[in-house]
Amino acid sequence: MDNRRRRRVWLGVAGLLFVLAGVLMFTGQGDKLPEEEPQVEFPRRMRGQERERAERRKTWVMPTVVDAGTAAAERPRPQDPLLAALPRGAGRTAVVIEANALRHSPIGELLLDCMMRDGGKELDEFRKKSGVDPLQDLDRLVITDQGMMLSGNFANAKFQELMGDAVSMDYGQGARVYEPGETIVTGPDGNTSSVHRRPAVGIWNNQLFMVGQNPDDVKAAIDRVEGRGPDEPPTIPEGSTYGEMYGVLSVEHLARLLPPDQAELAQRLRDVAQNVELHVDATSDVALVAEVRGKDKDQVTDLGKSLGAALSLARMRAQAEGEKEMAQLLDFARVQPDGSSFKLEMAVPLSVIQERLAFCKEERQAAEADAGVR
Amino acid sequence: MNPVLGIAGYVLREAMSRKFILAFVVGITLVLSVVALSLRIEVVDGALAASRLFGNELRASIRSVDVALRPVYTAAAFIVFYGGILFGIVACSDFAPSLLSPGRIEHLLALPIQRWHLLAGTFLGVMVLAVGGTLYGTTGLVLIFGVKAGYWTAGPLIAGLMACVGFAAVYAVMLTTATLVRSAALCAAAGFVVMVSGIIAGFRQQIAPMFEDGFSRSAFEAVTLILPRLSSLAQAAGNIASSTPLEVNSLGMLLMGVLVFGFGALAVGFWRFEGKDY
Repeated sequence: MDNRRRRRVWLGVAGLLFVLAGVLMFTGQGDKLPEEEPQVEFPRRMRGQERERAERRKTWVMPTVVDAGTAAAERPRPQDPLLAALPRGAGRTAVVIEANALRHSPIGELLLDCMMRDGGKELDEFRKKSGVDPLQDLDRLVITDQGMMLSGNFANAKFQELMGDAVSMDYGQGARVYEPGETIVTGPDGNTSSVHRRPAVGIWNNQLFMVGQNPDDVKAAIDRVEGRGPDEPPTIPEGSTYGEMYGVLSVEHLARLLPPDQAELAQRLRDVAQNVELHVDATSDVALVAEVRGKDKDQVTDLGKSLGAALSLARMRAQAEGEKEMAQLLDFARVQPDGSSFKLEMAVPLSVIQERLAFCKEERQAAEADAGVR
Repeated sequence: MNPVLGIAGYVLREAMSRKFILAFVVGITLVLSVVALSLRIEVVDGALAASRLFGNELRASIRSVDVALRPVYTAAAFIVFYGGILFGIVACSDFAPSLLSPGRIEHLLALPIQRWHLLAGTFLGVMVLAVGGTLYGTTGLVLIFGVKAGYWTAGPLIAGLMACVGFAAVYAVMLTTATLVRSAALCAAAGFVVMVSGIIAGFRQQIAPMFEDGFSRSAFEAVTLILPRLSSLAQAAGNIASSTPLEVNSLGMLLMGVLVFGFGALAVGFWRFEGKDY
């Protein structure tokens, strides 16, 4: 091959190779913009929206005792009545569920489908019987170690009808307590005692609905709202009211929630931790931040390491079992040590919850279609 | 002996005689040694529980060791990729011009080999050098983190080899430039231009909308269509090093495309070299 021809061949080859390179790179990279990596927003601090929400809820000005004018008059600051009603002191449990916010989140929609699997018949019945529409009137739900509290608009509630033969009485400045009747029970030893057949209920200013094991628990909650309770800070400070679910869990309660095969971890929690502050964000994926506090820094760090290892093993198991999505979300699981406390962060993908609760939607649609045919 | 291999060996011998190549190897060794001696990692059941650098505890969260090391491996992949290409551009820019310098080229052309063998041999020699250096550095990194954290992955090694494919495309253009102008500075400049263009080409979808719809955008898209997509390759190298899902459609196609671009540039060099009088 003469030199000129060889050169032409090289030039032709070069042109062909450039075209081939262009095609290969175009196909290889694709012409789509890369998908954004899944991002989970963990509730680590109060956001602007939540701060505004907390401000809006400060509607209750606690009455002050009028003295002879010797003490400097301090203008009482408005408070959130629900926070004021929470139990006080260390080692207590109070978990707030932002029912209204949760109702309007994707998770809330799924839970609503599950609640209305019968086509909403039970919910309608409850509405008629109680005069309360949980989807409209309920704002927050609190679970404490002394009972349960609900906040919202209970002006139309038919408590007397609901409570049947319960004795009702006014209590404090704006509350009414319903005391259920007592029954005499004979114990195994032959002794008799009186017990309440149903929990006691209290309503404060048509805003707070309190349920307690006995009337004293309910009255104590009303006392706290109206400023007659102990002079201790509330279990959940205002600055911690962020997320769709938040609160403080006593270590004892948390340890009891763990499954039996985690008995060792439960015992370590009891030994090391003092309390656990919890925040859950459910605006899209469910993201959880739990802050565990203890006295001994080294023991707390060791507990954090054990939890971190447990999460790591769970992630490896998910990878091994081909649960790609779960493994991807467990990528976000981490423990952040900080002296005598640590933060545990975990996330569950919305799609996983959607998949698990898909049957609720199907059953609801079937029930609604069935009702439509009739 | 194959003439291409003979020339490659010649290039390698010349590289070994250069002090800064030696300094590069010593530099990599020092960095690896410092990392190996100063880093302490505590792993509990696959979770990175604590780490110390130069005796100071690093404030980091406790999480799966592979997840915790992801940023380290991603950063290492990017350093190897872009740093390696940059170093390669500087270190290898005068191989071809010196090979084609008067007095030397006549001697080489007198050998019973074809002209393209000279260029192909130079290209091969430089690539052997690049692959050797990359494997040395990335294997060291894999060994250090493997021994210390018990987490073994070939990701950084693969990422390093991908960087070599990127460098192949860049060096092919440098070699071709040397057949046009015998200047180490211009060769380096050409390499640098290809590198920057390659970064832009990888982001062509994101950049194209910034051009006005019409000729300018079409021209940009046409030019960047054949340029080696180095930033995409670097991103894929980072993904592989950190064991995260790839963002590209087909890594094999992308790698082949970049390599074929290099061969195309080399073919232009052969065309030019075949017709040049010395």
